[in-house]
Amino acid sequence: MANEIEIDASSLTPRELNSKIKEYAKKFDKIIIKNPGAEHYLVAGLVDDTSIVIEGSAGYFAGTMLDKGNITINGNAGWFVGDNMTSGEIVVNGSAGDGAGQGIYGGTVVVRKGVGSRTGEIMKGGTVIIGGDSGFMTGIFMMGGRMIILGNLGADAAESIIRGEIFVLGDVQSLGKNAIIIDITDDDKKELKEILEHYDFELDDEDYDKFTKIIPESARPIYGK
Amino acid sequence: MCGIAGIVYKDGKLHNIGNDMTNMLNALQHRGPDSAGFALYGGLGLKDDEYILNIQLENNSKKLLRTVKDEINMVSPIESDKLMFTTENSCLYQCKIQLDEFNMLKPLIQDVDSIDDKVVVINGEHGFQMIKDVGSVLDIADNYDTRSIKGTHGIGHTRFSTESGVDLYHAHPFQTYILRDVSLVHNGQITNYWKVRDALERKGHIFETNNDTECLVHYIADKISTGYSLEEALEQSVENMDGPFSYIVATPNGIGIAKDKLGLRPGVMAENDEIFAIASEEVSLGQVIDTSEVEQIYPGEVRVFEI
Repeated sequence: MANEIEIDASSLTPRELNSKIKEYAKKFDKIIIKNPGAEHYLVAGLVDDTSIVIEGSAGYFAGTMLDKGNITINGNAGWFVGDNMTSGEIVVNGSAGDGAGQGIYGGTVVVRKGVGSRTGEIMKGGTVIIGGDSGFMTGIFMMGGRMIILGNLGADAAESIIRGEIFVLGDVQSLGKNAIIIDITDDDKKELKEILEHYDFELDDEDYDKFTKIIPESARPIYGK
Repeated sequence: MCGIAGIVYKDGKLHNIGNDMTNMLNALQHRGPDSAGFALYGGLGLKDDEYILNIQLENNSKKLLRTVKDEINMVSPIESDKLMFTTENSCLYQCKIQLDEFNMLKPLIQDVDSIDDKVVVINGEHGFQMIKDVGSVLDIADNYDTRSIKGTHGIGHTRFSTESGVDLYHAHPFQTYILRDVSLVHNGQITNYWKVRDALERKGHIFETNNDTECLVHYIADKISTGYSLEEALEQSVENMDGPFSYIVATPNGIGIAKDKLGLRPGVMAENDEIFAIASEEVSLGQVIDTSEVEQIYPGEVRVFEI
């Protein structure tokens, strides 16, 4: 059995809770957080390879600047879950607000249900997987990495995308500037199947043929070719 | 930043709305420490021609209070009254009056307001109770015994001031007198404020402040008074208002939220068979409803629930 500990967050400020998490992360393999109360900044700046389970919803900036660790949120997350993370994994077993995976450099953010707007804005690397719909300007200013959306995409998808790719199973309401749709390849399908099965998303084989792929039309849309 | 919240009990009966709204707003305290306020509907039980005036007197001058009472009595005999104190210890005079027509209320408020700079009419209400003050949610709720108030629906606000003064009058909710008992709480800024205000003033609507929230509540009431439904009025506002905003409006029949087209201010909702609830953050919804199924309010979206 993993070396684990439980923290009751009900009487702790986010700062106190995060200090405890950092202290325990050096001693325990797994930390379970009870009564998170949808507080903001939960598990900010974790740099140890530790499993964190949040039993409930988290507020804004859950797992911001995560490096190496993995976080499971058994509830919803507010705005900017996984903001600026560099490696590791965050799985939200509910929905999330705006800016899920904002500015990530690496690692994986998974949200099982739908999310708000501007998912993966300015992301530079890593993977964002959304099990439901993603709203307005998903992937705005995206500079790398990949996003996989299993629901529909809102208006102005991939607005001003520079690098990176967005795979969409549902409908795309409209594309933003510098975004184009291309056919997905067999390698893309294989890659999608691999990662989606890894995260227990159950799709039929023919579903993989239905994905749309969005990429930038130009890497230098403003200053020339 | 500001926090906004609203709740409707779907059965239309009286519930512990004061307690629920206090908990919802307290959970949003971090979004605004300057002031807080409530508009709680359905529990006042006034006759059709009765109104309550809430009037702040900056000092506890008996002479000034007598002048205020005389001014009111010239229009309507004061049926009952009481004196309270705000969280900053100024005098809050509350009286019940009778008016033949709703359109007599605004002129009376203007007359009382003009008595002295130290006299400010906070609001005039019929179907809802407006409670607002500077300070924390819990201090305000304690001071006005808010938790004991029953009601059918309501809205509330925690304020992080970015424009206009931090005082009781500029705390949200704001009310309009274009229609009876319409109030509004707001998180954001209306950047084409003067353009919207100008059109409303040309129609004869009177502005008391330069606050954009007052402009919003007049705008919505103006739309409803010209035949729009609450939902249609909110949709129109999304088209006509610029800037980042998320606001909740309450009428005697229900509440609705509108969010700007870029979705720059937050809004989430949850509902079950008993409750429809809206708030800036899930932490607030969690005070009154199971939040396993929280819905995002998307950019440009409006949601309405009327009893």
